[in-house]
Amino acid sequence: MEEVTTYSTDNIIEIIGLKKSFGKNCVLNNFNLNVKQGENVVVIGKSGAGKSVLIKCIVGLMVQDSGSIKVFGDEVSKLSHDDLDVMRAKVGFLFQSNALYDSMTVRENLEFPLRRHWIKSTKENIGDLVMEALTNVGLAETINMKPAELSGGMKKRIALARTLILKPKIILYDEPTSGLDPVTGKEISKLILEVQKKYNAASIIISHDLNCAKITSNKIVILVDGTCYAMGTYQELSASSDKKVNQFFD
Amino acid sequence: MKYAALKFFLLETGNIFRFAIRFFKEGFKPRYEFAEFLKQCYNIGNTSLPIVTTTGLIMGLVITIQSHPAMEAFGTESWLPSIVSVSLVREIVPVITALICAGKIGSSIGAELGSMKVTEQIDSMEVSGTNPFKYLVVTRVLAATLMVPLLIVLSDTISLYGAFIGVNINQIISFHLFANQVFQKLSFGDVLPSVIKALFFGFAIGIIGCYKGYNTQNGTEGVGKAANSAVVISTFVVFFIDLIAAQIADILHIL
Ligand SMILES: Nc1ncnc2c1ncn2[C@@H]1O[C@H](COP(=O)(O)OP(=O)(O)OP(=O)(O)O)[C@@H](O)[C@H]1O
Ligand SMILES: [Mg+2]
Repeated sequence: MEEVTTYSTDNIIEIIGLKKSFGKNCVLNNFNLNVKQGENVVVIGKSGAGKSVLIKCIVGLMVQDSGSIKVFGDEVSKLSHDDLDVMRAKVGFLFQSNALYDSMTVRENLEFPLRRHWIKSTKENIGDLVMEALTNVGLAETINMKPAELSGGMKKRIALARTLILKPKIILYDEPTSGLDPVTGKEISKLILEVQKKYNAASIIISHDLNCAKITSNKIVILVDGTCYAMGTYQELSASSDKKVNQFFD
Repeated sequence: MKYAALKFFLLETGNIFRFAIRFFKEGFKPRYEFAEFLKQCYNIGNTSLPIVTTTGLIMGLVITIQSHPAMEAFGTESWLPSIVSVSLVREIVPVITALICAGKIGSSIGAELGSMKVTEQIDSMEVSGTNPFKYLVVTRVLAATLMVPLLIVLSDTISLYGAFIGVNINQIISFHLFANQVFQKLSFGDVLPSVIKALFFGFAIGIIGCYKGYNTQNGTEGVGKAANSAVVISTFVVFFIDLIAAQIADILHIL
């Protein structure tokens, strides 16, 4: 059963004054961002700008130094372990490094997020879900392979399938199209768009791929020096005369 | 600077104890990862079987052959089976087997968890709603605690057979007579302490391997270091536990 959501007008992710540093290295400094239900936000920034750190803070894998992150209206850093777990079930996270489990087959990798104790799926049901997720990324034939037997791009797509298998309400993609050829990259971008429409999901997409940004984004955020330097649609930003913005669109 | 090494040692010891306490805190709360526990038991037990049995046989054989001349000199040759079997079962086989397990199990756990850590697989489990400490650490520590004693008991048995072969090199003795002589001296009171000791060996090997792997840092370089220091520390701890066990047994007069 689909639950009735109450965030249709409110911000599903709300980040205010986020600050995170590692020792003396201040990565995020007073970063603000709002994401609405059904909205795709693309985050662009230089390597090492703190994009991955940002989305890790959102799921509570890292804890911010100060500032507030609200997901579904709850402050992430104040959630109990169980509540965090419930929140994470509604959030899909694609790791930049894929983070597929080496010791498991593709099937077991995809089944892993379904192990949550409150998901009472039957055996066939799980099989169907796995098959559906694999077909979405066009890799149904790899179901019994180990990650080591897959190419880099295939790993990325399997990781994407694993991220989407629970039909999350929020999806955080860390470079979903890096390492893919332009054709597959485009397919993945379209898949992201399709997922957004089908599940009315909100996404943060970290990408250097302008094509992907163009296809998927409702809004683009440019992350410079730890803050949200510029925000706007693809058309607005690509026409910008600001040098720091422009450099990303050449 | 002078005390840096000492400080590091104390910190590390404290952290390992904290890790062990976390094991007891999280290990007994549901949900239990039973399937993964069985898989780890199979991994640890099955892969260590060939090396543990071979070394068990060789230990029994070698200790018997080497003890023979000395005992012959004192004219106590007929005591050979009983003396050798007691020292094998009480001390030599448990410690040597535990050292082999420290090398084999400690390094494999350290390297596996270490590479899972640096490739973000542990983070990935966390966002997938599975407690990685329970799924990875608790199962492996329990499996090591169960399997190391079983391997040691098996190795004990095989080393006795090795001793039988060793005795037969110099004299002909039936297996029946040999067994009779062995069990005149070797009693349950010898086996039980060594099994209890083995439980601690297994637990220490599991905890240290997991601690090192779970806290790996600095990418692939860290994985090698994690595996390496898991072996070094657990080897040391095996000897340390052995020392403590000998003292306790001495006080209780059971060894
Ligand atoms: N665990 C960590 N410990 C210390 N510093 C870290 C850690 N994780 C990230 N950093 C630092 O935070 C900064 C931002 O890292 P992050 O991974 O977010 O970059 P990124 O924007 O995702 O870059 P890329 O596009 O290359 O993936 C870097 O300077 C990095 O050194
Ligand atoms: Mg990154």
